Amino acid sequence: MECTSKQQMKTLIAVSIIALVALALIPQIVHAQLAQQTSAKQYINLRAEVWNEFFRMTTAAFTVGAIVSGTMIWLVWRFRESNPKNKAPTKWEHMDDPTAGSYEEEGH
Amino acid sequence: MGHDTAEWVFVAIVIAVLCYVGVDSWIVQKAVEDVPADAEVIKVTGQQWYWSFEHADGTKEISTLHVKKGHAYKFEIYSRDVMHSFNIPDWVVFEDAVPGHTNHAWFAPDQAGTYPIQCREYCGLLHYNMRGSLVVEDDKS
Repeated sequence: MECTSKQQMKTLIAVSIIALVALALIPQIVHAQLAQQTSAKQYINLRAEVWNEFFRMTTAAFTVGAIVSGTMIWLVWRFRESNPKNKAPTKWEHMDDPTAGSYEEEGH
Repeated sequence: MGHDTAEWVFVAIVIAVLCYVGVDSWIVQKAVEDVPADAEVIKVTGQQWYWSFEHADGTKEISTLHVKKGHAYKFEIYSRDVMHSFNIPDWVVFEDAVPGHTNHAWFAPDQAGTYPIQCREYCGLLHYNMRGSLVVEDDKS
């Protein structure tokens, strides 16, 4: 039951992401096709295309940077030694703790 | 939300951003490199230390290139001696001139005026002076 719920969650995430990427890209693909249909005397503005691309890529780079650095900041904050949540050892720490009595039972 | 879900979201967002970057760059590169069918060919020759140009009708120019506003031009760029790089900064034209090999670039000026042409690859003693001018004229025809 839980497995099905996780599957559904993953599917939902994947579909949402694909939909967002498609929504971001479809207008550009349509625009490119329309540009090809224009009369022979209308040309694309290379400067505008190149600078627009530069700003879009900068936005993407800052987004990735924010995600990665945000995750790292959260990790450091959440798992710091002084966090009250870290007073009790986690189940994984408890398992590896020889004084907890389960170390040898695990076969190490 | 468990760890598992958070990791999936993290991975999915990064993959989505990378997909976006790849597809978007591909679309723009295709649009930028797609030379219009009616573009007039101009042969550009780089040699120490000046640029020479040959229009489709055989007209030759040295250092100063005259073109018409509202027309598309395709540059066939090559070099007679060493590596040069043909650059018109104001029109985003930037392509290496390589001996024994022809490179291509195109542009369609939509503003009349005079713009600098320069060599962007160090090509010897007088590289700094390997400059030219692009003159975009109003099309009166």
